[in-house]
Amino acid sequence: MERDARARGTPLRFGFPPYPVVGMSRAVLRQYIEGNDPITSKPFMREVIEVLTSPLTDKEKHPTITPKPRRPRLLASDTAENLYRQFVENGWTDGLPIVLPTEERVAEMLAGTDHGPQELVGRMLVTTHQEKMEYTVEKVAAIAVMAGARPEHFPVILALAASQEPSMPSSTTSWGRMAIVNGPIRNEVGMNCGTAALSPFNLANSVIGRAWTLMSINFGDARAGENFMASFGHNLNYNNMCCGENEELSVFEPFHMQKGFRTDESVVSLFRGWNVLNFGIGPAKEMAHLISTFGSMGTSITFIVDPLVAKNLRAEGFRTKRDACKWIVENSHVPAGHYWQGQMQSGFAAGLAKQGVEPFASWAKLPKDALITPRHSPDDINILVVGGETNPMWITTDFTYTQSVAIDKWRPKGGLHRDARPLRMPVPLACKDGACGIPEATPSAEPVTAGD
Amino acid sequence: MEQNSKLTVLDPHGQPSGIFGRRLDAQSNPRDILDPIAQPSSNLKPISMAPRLAALDGKTVYLVETGFAGSFEFMQELQDWFSRNMPGVKTVIRHKRGTMFTDDPELWNEIKSNDGDAAILGVGG
Repeated sequence: MERDARARGTPLRFGFPPYPVVGMSRAVLRQYIEGNDPITSKPFMREVIEVLTSPLTDKEKHPTITPKPRRPRLLASDTAENLYRQFVENGWTDGLPIVLPTEERVAEMLAGTDHGPQELVGRMLVTTHQEKMEYTVEKVAAIAVMAGARPEHFPVILALAASQEPSMPSSTTSWGRMAIVNGPIRNEVGMNCGTAALSPFNLANSVIGRAWTLMSINFGDARAGENFMASFGHNLNYNNMCCGENEELSVFEPFHMQKGFRTDESVVSLFRGWNVLNFGIGPAKEMAHLISTFGSMGTSITFIVDPLVAKNLRAEGFRTKRDACKWIVENSHVPAGHYWQGQMQSGFAAGLAKQGVEPFASWAKLPKDALITPRHSPDDINILVVGGETNPMWITTDFTYTQSVAIDKWRPKGGLHRDARPLRMPVPLACKDGACGIPEATPSAEPVTAGD
Repeated sequence: MEQNSKLTVLDPHGQPSGIFGRRLDAQSNPRDILDPIAQPSSNLKPISMAPRLAALDGKTVYLVETGFAGSFEFMQELQDWFSRNMPGVKTVIRHKRGTMFTDDPELWNEIKSNDGDAAILGVGG
């Protein structure tokens, strides 16, 4: 923070009480205030008084701006082994082996789009106060090479870059992300939307999701403990649950169409949250009951449902995803007293209630046994259809939808740039009639009756 | 390729843009991703810190809690500390609107209008 303040010519004075503050009793907070700054070891309140009263230094009176230097386009030449070590030891990777971004490989990747190499794609940061780092098409190509992507994947990776959202925004709470692809490009580049879509059985899902994180590390300038403060981090950061929505088996409209895109448009939609909470089986009322038990401070719920669940919801009478979301919201109740007991609610929603923000302000005035609906809008619930119909189950996440980004603008006009032999992992076995591998039953000579 | 032959690779990092952070509308949904207010480095003007007070006795210090869980209780304890140890300091607790990252010009104007002499903002994380 101090470095970024210097970079924009704004001196700062601050002190640190011990950590954490959230969830601590008044007695503990009192000890913090009466104790020492854990960074400087000075008495905390002496520091507070000094911050307010000690005279400004010359630097503070006359701050200067210290801009970050621009980086050279190329690294110094070296052996592959030494360069790989440089990438790893400088924290430019995700810890997994990378493909070194040589000029030749980057040039090959750039064939995956018609956009010029020096075209600015966007700017990214992982914390709110730091300087944004900007990146060109060529920089994104270097990341795509590192991730192990092929040129056919590049339009999707460019769309992720154009979102300007890091896959790893810094929060002590440790965020995870999700990237869901809709539209024709899913099948064109061989993404998996069916059985094991969220598991490591598909090249496109793997490298596209991975590229988003490598961009976040290098474009977002993420440095663990310096500006990336996730207390335990999040394993989803490796791949960001990247997959396609199973539009072919879904009875509902694809997610991107809910956001105003046409069915023939290819789009990547982004989500942010903390947890994959559990899995469930059963009708919509089970979904409503489940989410009523989770705390809420205005965050969303995103269900990832197998196509069989979508079919069951349709059979229950829900014509659209929004119909189901509306019903789930309206039928998800919790007593107000139970709601306000939750740590997140008392910590964050209570503040919104004090500001008069609805519905929190009204909920704060209710008797403890009054029922409230913690998610108050169908927009708070998302349903994504993924999976291969091996189990009519869903998983529940607390992920919030953030944005959808068009992929097609990054496609080459002449069509996706494919390898002569497109690289594909084995496709999961799937059969439309559900009879995969099951031998045909031999009719028995006599019918079987009850009591046999 | 020989094992020791040299390669040249591209630097994978972004370039400094001179554009900092995000400034959120106080009325915005905390879940919205908003465009930043661009601050190209050529337009950046260094901001000097406000002059310091010679002493706090007789002064009014605003304790601005940023909305992070625990901030209000921390500021209450801070207020209690001043009451016990420096009773000559008047303290006023205020809640900053929006999220912890949101600007609140109305609050800053209130502090200036009501002769606030200093402000302590907290806490983060």
